[in-house]
Amino acid sequence: MKVSYNWLREFVDITTSPEEVAARLALTGTNIASIEKGAHGAVIDAEITSNRPDCLGMIGIAREAAAAYRLPLKTISAKPAESAATKASDAISVKIEAPDLCGRFTARVIRGVKVQPSPQWLKDRLEAAGTASINNVVDISNYVMLETGHPLHTFDYDLVRNHSIVVRRAKAGEKIRTLDGIERTLDPSICTVCDGDGSRSVGIGGIMGGGETEISFSTKSVLIECAWFDPIAIRRAARSLRLHTEASMRFGRGADPETADLASRRAAELILQLAGGELFSGVVDLYPGKRVPKKITLTRRELLRIMGADVPDKDIEAILSSLGFAPVRSDQNGGSINSLLAAWECTQPSWRAEVEREIDLIEEVARVYGLSHFPPRLPAARLGAARLPHYEAEMRLRERLIGLGYHEILTIPHVAEDRNELFRPAETSPAKLSNPLSEEASVLKSTGAVTMAGAIEWNLNHGQRNARLFEIGSHYRFVKGKPVETRILTVGATGAVRAQALYDAPRDYGFADLKGDLDAIGALSGGLRWEQGGPDWLNPLRRGAISLGKESGPSLGYAGQLGKRAAEKFKFRQDVFLAEIELGPLYCMYYGVKNSRRYEPLPRFPGVERDFSLFLADGVTFAQVQQIIWSLAIPEVASIEAADLFRGKNVPAGKFSLLVRVVFQSREATLTESQINEFSSRIVAALEQNLGATLRAS
Amino acid sequence: MSTTPDSKLSQPLASLGISSADGVQSLFAEVRSRFDMDAARVTDEASFKAFRDTWLARKSGVITLITDNWLKPASPDVKRLVGAALNELRAHVDSQIEAHRRAVETGVESAATAKDRVDLSLPGVIRPIGSHHLIRTVMQEIEDIFFSIGFSVVEGPEIETPYYNFEALNIPEHHPVRDDMDTFYLDVADDTPGKLLLRTHTSPVQIRTMEKRQPPVRVIVPGKVYRRDNPDATHSFMFHQIEGLAVDTDITFCDFTGTIEYFVKQFFGESVKTRFRPSYFPFTEPSVEFDVSCIFCGGTGSGASGVVCGKCKGSGWIELFGAGMVDPAVYGFVNYDPKKVSGFAFGMGMDRLAMLKYGIDDLQVFFQNDVRFLRQFP
Ligand SMILES: [Zn+2]
Repeated sequence: MKVSYNWLREFVDITTSPEEVAARLALTGTNIASIEKGAHGAVIDAEITSNRPDCLGMIGIAREAAAAYRLPLKTISAKPAESAATKASDAISVKIEAPDLCGRFTARVIRGVKVQPSPQWLKDRLEAAGTASINNVVDISNYVMLETGHPLHTFDYDLVRNHSIVVRRAKAGEKIRTLDGIERTLDPSICTVCDGDGSRSVGIGGIMGGGETEISFSTKSVLIECAWFDPIAIRRAARSLRLHTEASMRFGRGADPETADLASRRAAELILQLAGGELFSGVVDLYPGKRVPKKITLTRRELLRIMGADVPDKDIEAILSSLGFAPVRSDQNGGSINSLLAAWECTQPSWRAEVEREIDLIEEVARVYGLSHFPPRLPAARLGAARLPHYEAEMRLRERLIGLGYHEILTIPHVAEDRNELFRPAETSPAKLSNPLSEEASVLKSTGAVTMAGAIEWNLNHGQRNARLFEIGSHYRFVKGKPVETRILTVGATGAVRAQALYDAPRDYGFADLKGDLDAIGALSGGLRWEQGGPDWLNPLRRGAISLGKESGPSLGYAGQLGKRAAEKFKFRQDVFLAEIELGPLYCMYYGVKNSRRYEPLPRFPGVERDFSLFLADGVTFAQVQQIIWSLAIPEVASIEAADLFRGKNVPAGKFSLLVRVVFQSREATLTESQINEFSSRIVAALEQNLGATLRAS
Repeated sequence: MSTTPDSKLSQPLASLGISSADGVQSLFAEVRSRFDMDAARVTDEASFKAFRDTWLARKSGVITLITDNWLKPASPDVKRLVGAALNELRAHVDSQIEAHRRAVETGVESAATAKDRVDLSLPGVIRPIGSHHLIRTVMQEIEDIFFSIGFSVVEGPEIETPYYNFEALNIPEHHPVRDDMDTFYLDVADDTPGKLLLRTHTSPVQIRTMEKRQPPVRVIVPGKVYRRDNPDATHSFMFHQIEGLAVDTDITFCDFTGTIEYFVKQFFGESVKTRFRPSYFPFTEPSVEFDVSCIFCGGTGSGASGVVCGKCKGSGWIELFGAGMVDPAVYGFVNYDPKKVSGFAFGMGMDRLAMLKYGIDDLQVFFQNDVRFLRQFP
């Protein structure tokens, strides 16, 4: 709403600068977007919240200013001179067939007008408000709308068939050509204004008039419509017609039905003044939606309970009076000033339909009194605060990943469907949007992998070859028709794990990096179990399924190198590694493991390391080697590690060389050479016998 | 290099004819001056070692010889005199030899060649370390501030029903506010009862929380929210909010403003000024917009060299977020008695707070995840 400072001063005797007025309005509830100095004085651009349709007219803003400055408001009084000869009711008939959509309809008729360009002052006013000038009659209806906040419509009276108006629901598929020249198709939820026997629409009620009865320079007589339409119906109609007008905006937020007649008289008065003519006496006024003004009581007790600090009687009364609530002390202690028991009975003004409750009055008083009058303080604490249940587990996981060199990312879960399909497990349903902004963002990610791949793509496309990333977020799926959001960790990495540097040789990130880093996280929750498996979009030779716990435990997810098909889709020309694991069970186990962890006394005797350099057939796994050694049940075996792995030179074809390092440790005594030798030969024998291992000659 | 052991050292004092205090004193003075001459000749590690051995070697060092030949055989009277003089000499010798040892060692080190010295301008071994996402950091910071004044942290689903996102927050269907919050809806199977949407704010968790708990309630809700806005420098169709809610039997507007001011001063610093402007939201009443003095121009409205500050457009204030006292209508949806309880709620955009605090002018960088951006905020 563009508020001309000069126009505003016609209603309130403000003496301060436009900037000061704007600042004061801003602090009492009218949001100010800007102030512009135009050719016709300062114009304050006020952003009116949707609950204040009354402020979509100058009079409403003026009322706010009057309340803020405690100045009197000069109201609009329109007393157009009426012709004694003819009555409006003889000139026009009105029928409302849809009183649920049209709560009031007033009609006035002026005969013998001269439609011509508007005088300069009117053009200037409209220009300041951002409205184009058309002709004096149309401009007046716009002017009155800006002044009173109530939209009007003017018809060429002689083009209204039978001088008869019927307001009804539109028929399905009914067509009308609106003033903007566009043919529009209506439906029965839309209110139309018709002429004659009601068969022809000459306007969409409260939204836009029709072209058939438009005012032109040859118009001789004017029918002034000033009506009231149901806000919800108007909003729905404006949306479905995609026709948002100044009128639909005002009716859509809730215009004041009581103002309709005032605005009609004001328009008549101005038309007589600027276009001449003769106003038929009286008005045709159908008012099925007349409301009884509500009574609302404000008590000081409630004001104090909500606001926490008091407002003196005189301020309460002055504020409510200037806003039109006509407060009357209604408590037993009526004579006692600032009594704690004070109560005021207020009357809801017709232009403030949204003020219905005591809390609404409290807000009115508080905002105009000034919110800075209520001193800030911290509330008394009455209970302990709790973090999210997984707070600690997630924090440790995050810190560990960052320590391992991963950057945390956050992605927008909206992705293209074809990308989502690359990763989506077949047994799950995607969460599709019914109104996406674009194809590229039409479905919520079914996996963390899809947006992680996107983040890697971004980096590669921007010259960042080396990236180690993780995201803690959710994936979104439908399971049995219900949406399921699951908290997951997604890890993505590509490029060098170590760049060529002063002290380091370069090395590319590989599967072992991913596995090692995930195991480092898994260790917080008691360790991960790796098994063959994983989704098809991972390279089948370099992937694994991850579960929790050594023996059995819930499946968590998978990790591996991105397979060829997906890599091609993303145009990746270097290896990309991805992992995705479910965090719920991991977090749960974190606390279990943490709480059951107990101190283990350090060994008092030295441990002894023995290396076994083995040739093993391809396909034999380290796990098998470990299992054979553990199965010997030598209590002194403390650990079994793989120390080196080698293929190629000096290794027979079909075999590989594995260096296994076993640590022997006794809690009772220092181990002797002969004990160690005895353990070692048992180990070698078992590996030879069970796995066909041969000891490599050293 | 050092003095040849004086023949005097091999003889008892009696043989040297010394028995008086003066005699002992002058003899020791002679020894001491010889020591000082020796000390003055120390130049490097080798000469230091010879010097040290001459005087302190266990078998034939000067000190040992004096002890064996002068002190031990002396008569009791003379022994006392020799003992005292020897102690004095010994202290001098020890301290001087220690001082020369240090001087020689330092000299050796500083004389080492440049090739062996570390170049401090070279980096150490660089181990790659990752980074926190800035939004997470800010989220954590905000959480910690509210946690410190008794707010618990809760979460809720991002896929919501219109009931929780709108109706229960006093936003009935066809309420104009719904037009301002352009909403993503999910494409649901025909057998799914009711519509599903992506929450447009974290406020649904207010309702979910109050459904589960009786007052006192004091929670904050961090999370992702969605609005169907075309992306640009200040809009993203996904962003992050932190919702706050406090309901109790005695929460007032003053408690609300106090809590918000506390938060802002913790987050932006004590010097920041604050103001509350009346506004409108369907689920709060009274509703406010909360502004802070512009952190770029210090609230003056003009930036460097007097030009209008672009961040606050010259107003000196920056709008941070909306908030207010919980509208009593909301209590009706969760079976709280609006006559007995009152409270406040707020919802702030974290992305915007992070942009303001760290001077980021493009919201999109948060979600592009370029490692060059990520590394800037470890
Ligand atoms: Zn500024």
